[in-house]
Amino acid sequence: MNTWRQLAGPHWRPFTVLAACILLLAALDAGQGAFLSAATAYSTLQIFATVSLVTLGLGLTMMIREFDLSVVGMYGMAGCIAVLTGTQHPWLGFFLALAIGLATGIAQGFIIVRLNLSSVGVTLGGLLVFVGIAFVLTESRSLPYDNLAVALLLNERFGGIFSIRSMVALVFFASAAMIFAWTRLGRDIIAIGSDRRAAMTTGVKVDALIIGIFAFSGLCAALSGVLLSYSLASASPAGLSDVIAPAAAGAILGGISLGGGTGRPLGIAAGALTLAVLRSGLNAVGAPPFVNDIAMGAVLLTVAVLDGPDLARRLIVARRLARRSPAA
Amino acid sequence: MTQYSTAGTDVAVRAGARTRLDRARLFAWLQTIGIVILVAVILATPGFLAGPSILALLTTVSFIGCVAIGMTLITISGNIMSFALGATVGVTAMVFILAANWLGFGAGLLVGVIFGSLLTGLQGLLIGSVRANPIIISIAALALIYGVTQVFSEKGTIYADQGTVPALAKGKIAGVPIEFVVFLVSAVIAQFILSATRFGRNLFMVGSSFRAAEAVGVSTWRTITGAYLWAGFFTSLAGIMLAIRYDSANMDYGVAYDYDAIAAVLVGGTAIGGGSGSALRTFAGAMVIAAVQVMLLLKGLRQEWQYLAAGLIVLAVIVLQARGSGR
Repeated sequence: MNTWRQLAGPHWRPFTVLAACILLLAALDAGQGAFLSAATAYSTLQIFATVSLVTLGLGLTMMIREFDLSVVGMYGMAGCIAVLTGTQHPWLGFFLALAIGLATGIAQGFIIVRLNLSSVGVTLGGLLVFVGIAFVLTESRSLPYDNLAVALLLNERFGGIFSIRSMVALVFFASAAMIFAWTRLGRDIIAIGSDRRAAMTTGVKVDALIIGIFAFSGLCAALSGVLLSYSLASASPAGLSDVIAPAAAGAILGGISLGGGTGRPLGIAAGALTLAVLRSGLNAVGAPPFVNDIAMGAVLLTVAVLDGPDLARRLIVARRLARRSPAA
Repeated sequence: MTQYSTAGTDVAVRAGARTRLDRARLFAWLQTIGIVILVAVILATPGFLAGPSILALLTTVSFIGCVAIGMTLITISGNIMSFALGATVGVTAMVFILAANWLGFGAGLLVGVIFGSLLTGLQGLLIGSVRANPIIISIAALALIYGVTQVFSEKGTIYADQGTVPALAKGKIAGVPIEFVVFLVSAVIAQFILSATRFGRNLFMVGSSFRAAEAVGVSTWRTITGAYLWAGFFTSLAGIMLAIRYDSANMDYGVAYDYDAIAAVLVGGTAIGGGSGSALRTFAGAMVIAAVQVMLLLKGLRQEWQYLAAGLIVLAVIVLQARGSGR
């Protein structure tokens, strides 16, 4: 009984949901072997590699009760920068895009902290600027990346289910999880998210940490943008809304509450993996693509309503009304 | 973080209030001067006042403008913005075409408007009643709208039957495109709602302080639901006008309109934090952005620079606004 409650509790819920999804899809598959195969595992990890790092960055900003909208723009812009500069020297494009992601993240964090502004507003401005830069750089076209050797190398399957791209994401998550669990940083971030003023009084360097988290978020978005563009061998400036919904849904499934102050990188990894499993699994068992969109929307809607601070109050009122109406 | 004042004497508080007021006035002046300079530069651009470019400008700005009018109400209500309005434009256009093919033009208009209002109003109901996070609700609505429309339209684009849309609806009134007339009238209606009705007054109150509004007995959930209902109404006008113009509907119609709309709202001076703003200023904001974009085009810059210009303007306005309000 106690274990059950623990599994459904906030700490383990992301993993419980992940396991439930895998079991459900395995049952849908009914032993045909389309879902429980190395090919599905490989494609799951490829999807995971595409959005999970953006989810991690966004999730960390949500953990401190902020919201980094600009990840969507950075994701696209970083890919364009890398493809434009990295044909001869892939590492040059890679590091240039990462440096820009880091620098703009710091800049946004600095503006938010110094001017005491809402992060949604500032990062909305950042988002529009990044999208604009991406359009200007690419002249509104989809750019081909001619260094096909890099594209093939990044997606080459090894160990049956891994690729370099998914390994990068996994290693990134593992290191983030270790830093979060074993250093003061994790506790400080949670403290900022739960009560910023109290955190400040106890000596947490709040401003520096906020700037650091936005820098990390920019870096994550840039990294996944570069890896995706390199491995697809193309970059395009469009695709605004393709990333924000899965990233937000992944973070929320990963145990981040909208009020801030909860969550951890391992949970975010489980959340992003759940979405990846759903997408590749539904694909493997032959479900049409819109099922995925609808499932994601339903999850987000449910969590947003359940997390609503006034839900309990409304329920009490509704119950009272329900009790009164038979008498009347 | 700014410094928290520890001991606030009466004098200090009053002095603080005065500097804040002066800063606000300074910001208003700066904004006015900026707009005057901008208008002068734009008018001095050769070719700007030529007929065709003006007419094209007036038509394109109207679609985004109507969405921006709706977005203004959401922003004032303290819920920042919605990411689902662009998708609402697309899906309303589809519903309108389907209904018009089936029931005729007039009924199609009615069905389209009601559909768009209810779709957005429902999100407002969730946000207002349990105070669900507006950003997440709108992202959820975005995913759901795209998912559900894929179920019903495999081909992507649906077309109006021959003769469903009367030629009159594509015409001009006194030389002005009908789209622009609708945009202007929408702005006036929204402004009337905001400044002359009890609902408008409540909306400003809820936006500036949710708890204070609740304490004085404002029905907060009704007010927020109302704001979203009206937002859906104005957004559905944009969808219907697009469908009329192209005789067809497609989910690509409203893509990225959310971002253009919030840009117009912010440039118009509506505060991102809610509680202040106006629909007529959003109208001006949309016109300023559109004018800048046309000017860039006329100066020979490629179209892409428009996006960058809009982004930079929004970023500048957000930062300046913070300085202006002395936060």
